Amino acid sequence: MTPFKLMLSLPVVAPLLDVIKGLADDLRRTPALPHAAPAAEAEFSEMWAGELLAAQNRDVDVLLALFDEEFFAEGAVYLNTGNAEAVARACSAVRLCLRERCLSGVGDEALESGDIEQDRLDEPVRKAFHCYLFLATIQELIIEQMDE
Amino acid sequence: MAHSKTHALPEQGTATERQLQGPWRVVVLNDPVNLMSYVVLVFKKVFGFDEATARRHMLEVHERGRSVVWCGLREKAEAYAFTLQQWHLTTVIESDDPV
Repeated sequence: MTPFKLMLSLPVVAPLLDVIKGLADDLRRTPALPHAAPAAEAEFSEMWAGELLAAQNRDVDVLLALFDEEFFAEGAVYLNTGNAEAVARACSAVRLCLRERCLSGVGDEALESGDIEQDRLDEPVRKAFHCYLFLATIQELIIEQMDE
Repeated sequence: MAHSKTHALPEQGTATERQLQGPWRVVVLNDPVNLMSYVVLVFKKVFGFDEATARRHMLEVHERGRSVVWCGLREKAEAYAFTLQQWHLTTVIESDDPV
């Protein structure tokens, strides 16, 4: 994958980071999906869930690290082979969390199609939806670069 | 984790031994959140599928709600399921053995 620099609009993206950071705190304790281990043994299930949660935390840390001093100075984030996969997975985790905790009133069909009248959403829900779209855009850009 | 027994044929072993040896199916279930392009990427990364195969499985998940993406011994099926869950795809493994 060719490393690339993504220029983001600070006034648009900075408010979304509050949403992402809030959900990242939740994701430290809770998996984005209620994964069931394929065996009934309690010890095995605990180990399975623990390792998934640890991996999820590592990925979310990589996502949050994108928004460092350089981002707040000039709006730039950098993606490369060292962080792209983790960022793509973390975006998925945060999007799943957004759907569960902030966008449950929107409905899955509308979320999947993106056919949503944003003016009719309350401000916190609208912000969560913008965050949902923003993370999808980052994923799409990463996937485009990986496919090249 | 399961241990395979090279000296026992499946029909000679216990039900548990047969279950451990397989075949087991790795099944990915639909979710309304993950992008189609993301699911294709994951299938290519995890299984080494070419674009057409990855897209076929993704569409099967999207349209039918599930797709069997791999079949084989339980231990490897568990490893694939774990990796797919790390990528946040809803994944289960199923035994072909009705026991």
